Amino acid sequence: MSVGNTAAPAPLANMGEPIRRSESVAKVTGRLVYAADAPGQSPLQAYFLTSAIARGRVLSIDAAPAEALDGVVKVYTHLNAPRRIATPYTQKGGYASDTNMPLTGPEIHHDGQIIAMVIAETYEIARDASHRIVTRYDATTPAATIDSPGVDILHPDALAEKEKKAGDFAAALAAAPVKVEGVYSTPAQHQNAIELYSTTASWSAGELTIHEPSQFVVELANGAAAMMGIDPSKVHVVNPYMGGAFGGKGFMTQRTALVAGAARELARPVRNVVTRDQGFTLATYRSETKHHVRLAADHDGRLLAYGHESWEMQSRHDDYPLAGFGVTTAMYGKPAILTRVNLVKADRQTSGFMRAPVEMPYMYPLESAMDELAFALDMDPIELRRVNDIRESPIDGARFTSRSLMRCYDEAAASFGWSKRDPTPGSMREGDWLIGYGCATAGYPTHMAPATARVTLSADGSARVEVAGHDSGQGTYTALGQVAARELGIDPERVHVAMGDSRLPAAPASSNSLATASIGSAVKLAIDKLRSRFGNALPDDRDRSAAFARLGVSEIGDLGEFLPPGTNPEVLGMLRKGQVPFANQARGDESKNGKPLMFAFGAEFVEVRIHRLTREIRVPRMTGAFAAGRIVNPRTARSQLMGGMIWGMSSALLEATEIDEKRGRYVNDSLGEYLMAVNADVPRVDVIMVPEEDPEVNPLGVKGIGELGIVGTAAAVANAVHHATGKRIRDLPIVMDKLLA
Amino acid sequence: MNECAVDRRTVIATGAVLAASLSLGSAPAGARASMDTRTTPLTRDITLSVNGTDHAIRVDTRMTLLDALRDKLGLTGSKKGCDQGQCGACTIHVEGERHLACLTLTVAVEGLHITTVEGLAEGESLHPMQQAFIDHDAFQCGYCTSGQIMSAIACVREGHAGSDEDIREYMSGNLCRCAAYPNIVAAVNQAKNEMERG
Repeated sequence: MSVGNTAAPAPLANMGEPIRRSESVAKVTGRLVYAADAPGQSPLQAYFLTSAIARGRVLSIDAAPAEALDGVVKVYTHLNAPRRIATPYTQKGGYASDTNMPLTGPEIHHDGQIIAMVIAETYEIARDASHRIVTRYDATTPAATIDSPGVDILHPDALAEKEKKAGDFAAALAAAPVKVEGVYSTPAQHQNAIELYSTTASWSAGELTIHEPSQFVVELANGAAAMMGIDPSKVHVVNPYMGGAFGGKGFMTQRTALVAGAARELARPVRNVVTRDQGFTLATYRSETKHHVRLAADHDGRLLAYGHESWEMQSRHDDYPLAGFGVTTAMYGKPAILTRVNLVKADRQTSGFMRAPVEMPYMYPLESAMDELAFALDMDPIELRRVNDIRESPIDGARFTSRSLMRCYDEAAASFGWSKRDPTPGSMREGDWLIGYGCATAGYPTHMAPATARVTLSADGSARVEVAGHDSGQGTYTALGQVAARELGIDPERVHVAMGDSRLPAAPASSNSLATASIGSAVKLAIDKLRSRFGNALPDDRDRSAAFARLGVSEIGDLGEFLPPGTNPEVLGMLRKGQVPFANQARGDESKNGKPLMFAFGAEFVEVRIHRLTREIRVPRMTGAFAAGRIVNPRTARSQLMGGMIWGMSSALLEATEIDEKRGRYVNDSLGEYLMAVNADVPRVDVIMVPEEDPEVNPLGVKGIGELGIVGTAAAVANAVHHATGKRIRDLPIVMDKLLA
Repeated sequence: MNECAVDRRTVIATGAVLAASLSLGSAPAGARASMDTRTTPLTRDITLSVNGTDHAIRVDTRMTLLDALRDKLGLTGSKKGCDQGQCGACTIHVEGERHLACLTLTVAVEGLHITTVEGLAEGESLHPMQQAFIDHDAFQCGYCTSGQIMSAIACVREGHAGSDEDIREYMSGNLCRCAAYPNIVAAVNQAKNEMERG
């Protein structure tokens, strides 16, 4: 490792060593096996045909021209689909991320719904055959955007608890001397991990093996068993590595059972690799949101009123409500608060996780409004945050376990050179380029789910960690190895971590930035048990063989079971069934029954340069400072935070899934047309990790960092654009034509 | 309500015929392409030279080099991320130059020397670019990494690694959704020096 390698920051207080990823060599030599790489037994190839309309019915579907091709084994439509059993939505006791079950009838509920599945000997034949199927539709005009006629706007009672209220908002707003108000919107976006979605299913003696990228292998195994009508012990999901996930591989989709059902009927392994464009409609996504935000303050900047009403796009058949007020109301001051969320039911697929699913769309409008308020007050935006920094929740007075927001601001501001900022919009220039500086807060709740892990220590001083967890690039293998090594007092290279297999001890979904905190805590608890076997002190290199000889074994293993505070032991049973509804997790943004708030914080600074004439927008540099409890590995942590910041910039300036309002179809469903950051968009990103200790959150003192980096960046960019131009763009992404308008 | 019948091949074929007809200035009213009536794939027996080894294979003439590498030769290091030449995850070298395997038909590269990520290391000894990617944490999930490394090596050979700005520009055909971009630039800078020395 070369000196001054910014990828491997020297550890500060409460940080582990910046060691390399344990799978590094396999990743640079092409030897790592992802789901669609698994050597199969010459699987048949499945190719989906998807609907060309967003709403209506299939009048007729003629598969004969496809079936006439040599090498076509079968064409499935709603008239002859493989047998499956419906499973409810994940948050309603089932396993489906979208309950619209394709090939069960002629109805079409959204663009790109599966209407046929061709099974052939080769990929080329299957694809060719799919193009020969002749479909006749009865098309109905869809309602597919928030403002489309024909959507249903609901305000479910079930969300009442998420709608935070405090004091008399109307009176506080009326009396306040300084007010800002705005309507903000965020677009539909797709995760677009570079690894395509895929399923390879094979049956042997009544048992099903599935290779599929999954952020929750235990859920996928149980879900596939439910849909196939077999015992969960008969399903084995294998997926040791994922090529990115970002939420898209969170819960089971309808594809798995289709492919597994075909494999069962045809008694041959079947593989489906979803094409890039099909991936836009055959998985979940981030749906668009709209926000009406009102902020009011006294002349010193102290918040007096915060009002926030939102509208979230939903499918007609399922709800994935975000209602991110638990996060926004944990940020500032003690204002009177009124919030309300509306679900917009439309002819779309069900939305779901995408990196910071709740926080990104809710913090963007709040952090933009805070900047507008600072401007209205003629106050520095950092000082506005300082005046309103809090130690307790404005809703119920709950305390924070730790909160280092202003330390993050001060460190990032100093590093970024915020003091050089002239606050007057449009005042900083270099040649033809207008320069803008903007900042915003990142906040992410520390969530925890139940988790189990087995740790086995051998007499030779090596150890094994086994858990049905996941690594989609976060560095989970490496981090868990370091957690175990630290507790065991051995070198991380002596720890082998096995994950991504549904038959290993159950772990929760790798989502909500909770993997290291939850699984790591289970690993620690397993090692605590091991320690007790050796009289509460683990043997070291000198006495290890003697200690094992006394016990008469060559290795010894224990299962750690982590129950987040406030949950009861029954949730472990639910975890093993692949069901961990949010209600059974410890949520960092919930503070009922005296539970403290648990959050990681950050401060993000962005410089934009906007061309005086063309309004081309560039981001030459970004700086972020983050405090997130113990940092297990500063190398992988920095990469995650940096990646998150780049996601935020990309979200602010590039990413939007465009929808043809008339037809309800996605327009730019390819990587060429769905713009996301490329190397040339990202000159410089500085990541500062602010040391923080929080022994209260969990046994490891770890907060999640996988999503934190994205949370504030979009607002920081928007605020910088205002500083450069004097224009407030409240509708993401911020593109040249909006600045020229 | 409206009825429509769609079959993508007809749309594409009809479009092609119309375009051809228009260029001749004689588009017949109601022109409709005749369906492709072939029902058996065309195959070819070819020899593919990959990483210094010749492989005799039979391929469907429509098979991309990416699918042939992965499914016929078991070389799964080259990845499919879009199959449309938009992500770069399948980047390989043909006669030392970077190409997208997903946009290359297998039958078109018979007799040419192909190098994939599996052909870079010599035994346990990594190529300087592979080592640099590890040193600078120039990947997270690793899925785009094979393509990034193949592009990065070509980028240096092409003389497009002279400055950070050049590296960013000439590495922008390789998407990294984990966004390891600044680390990739650092890795190319490190390996460039070693490649130029070596």
